[in-house]
Amino acid sequence: MTTVEVAPRTPEWLLRSEVGLCPCGCIGKRSNTGFVAKTLESATGLLHEAVFAEDVAHRPGMLQRTDVRVKLVVTFALLISVSLVRHMVALIAMYPIVLVIAALSKVSVSFFIKRVWLFVPIFTGIVVLPATLNVITAGRIVVPLGTWFGHRIGLTEQGLSSGGLIVARVALSISLVVLLTLTTPWNRLLAALRTLFVPKMFILVLGMAYRYLFHLLGSVSDMYTARKARTVNRDNNTRRGRAFVASTAGALFGKSHALSEEVHQAMVSRGFTGNPRALRSSSLRRYDIGVGAAGFLLVAITLVGDHAFG
Amino acid sequence: MHSDSAPLFAVHDVCYSYLGRFCALDGVTLRIEHGERVALLGANGCGKSTLLKLLDGLIFADQGSFCAFGEPVTEATLEDEQFNNGFRSRVGFVFQNSDAQVFSPSVREEVAFGPLNIGMSTEEANERVDDTLRMLEILDLADRAPYQLSGGQKKRVAIASVLAMNPDVLLFDEPTAALDPRTQQWLIELIIELNRSGKTIVLATHELDTLANLVDRCVVFAEDHTIAAIDIPERILDDRALLRATNLIHEHAHSHGGEFHEHEHDRTHHDALQHGIGREMRALMGEH
Repeated sequence: MTTVEVAPRTPEWLLRSEVGLCPCGCIGKRSNTGFVAKTLESATGLLHEAVFAEDVAHRPGMLQRTDVRVKLVVTFALLISVSLVRHMVALIAMYPIVLVIAALSKVSVSFFIKRVWLFVPIFTGIVVLPATLNVITAGRIVVPLGTWFGHRIGLTEQGLSSGGLIVARVALSISLVVLLTLTTPWNRLLAALRTLFVPKMFILVLGMAYRYLFHLLGSVSDMYTARKARTVNRDNNTRRGRAFVASTAGALFGKSHALSEEVHQAMVSRGFTGNPRALRSSSLRRYDIGVGAAGFLLVAITLVGDHAFG
Repeated sequence: MHSDSAPLFAVHDVCYSYLGRFCALDGVTLRIEHGERVALLGANGCGKSTLLKLLDGLIFADQGSFCAFGEPVTEATLEDEQFNNGFRSRVGFVFQNSDAQVFSPSVREEVAFGPLNIGMSTEEANERVDDTLRMLEILDLADRAPYQLSGGQKKRVAIASVLAMNPDVLLFDEPTAALDPRTQQWLIELIIELNRSGKTIVLATHELDTLANLVDRCVVFAEDHTIAAIDIPERILDDRALLRATNLIHEHAHSHGGEFHEHEHDRTHHDALQHGIGREMRALMGEH
């Protein structure tokens, strides 16, 4: 053991402390969050949402107890019936039933309504709005909006009725899909897609894509946190932000390429030769058959009821 | 496929380079016998992981030959369905990066992947999954998604996914890396137990602390990707010049009691010091 005086090869500046704060003690300006931070916060939000959805999917509710294949087939049948319905009354009558099922499945009804109705008016409403005008759908004007080059412009009864029907269809369809995805873990939902004759290879790729989405999201988040930890001054320079996004995308591409190679080796190592095999699901119980029958009864009542309206 | 007189693995004068430019193995010759516990030792980037991938038939030598169970392992021989099935079910590989190995949407599907691929029925595979998860004390994780698992849990799932195939040979790449001390100890005990049941263990590591208890033989890689020495762990650990030359220990300068000093560094030194410091602390506390 030899005694030495200083650690070798350490530059002199590294052994000296440096002042971080302004020596005059002034307080700096608060900076707004940049677009990179906002985008990444949203991405992290996706992860939290997925974890929350998994939490709901494991609650002891009506749909959680039901076999995924039954839920998938009934939802598919209900979606077809919703798209075939021609009267809004039938759709309006169906909506409370969906809400009751949500409540029986331990899904917060207010959260469920907000989740659907927050996006439906934004996306569908904007698309449907022009069709309610008399220049697109001729008919009796019920909401006059003024004149344009001597022509009356307004919303027509026929336009509002068909627009309302489309919005109701979209809202109900989204409600059904949200209810299915909230009450079913993703892995089981993917496995159940085989019931609808989706090829096994497609399900395998979809499952892996979903699994690695979270992994890569974690990498992006880590890269941003590492950058933020070394950012001393205000960083609202959009050019630097764009450069960061570009370099992150490049690094992520490299990482995902290396990862995909290793994943393939891990699959080959365990006997994968290109023919995916999956665990067969258990047989259906009486409860599942009962739920399935009730679902198809609802489909039949909706279609017959709609037909009765003419 | 199996010949009892032949060594389990016979690697002869193997060279391998990535992209034809970056040498990873240079003239490696090695024999591994049935039921042995072998450690591949070496600094980062010396070729340990590459050799493990070669032993698992995931990459193939640019030069030289590799035989397993008395049969040559090449791209051509692994295209034979029967040979491929036999080889894959007898050799299991636990990757260093558990994220690469745990690729299925749920733990149950992950562990069932191997058994199903080697032709087991769903019922048999399900039984294997339950038994393996129970043995590794992770049965409660069966329906979890990989992103809901901690690093230690992912490692257990990765090991379960390989053990479910009940291979004769287990290859571990840096098995204890990034694990907490408790999980490390659990894994070491598991490896010893698996070997006692007759399984051959080959592991890549640069941790010297647990070698003496864990393996029968060490293969030391030099930084030029050649094999520097093959011997029993006691003799390898005593050869300080070899360990220094292969970058497994190094000259280390730090302070104890306000005094800087240099010495060869491995964890044993710190353990001894901590033991000594603990004794001094207890003596001091006793005085007050």
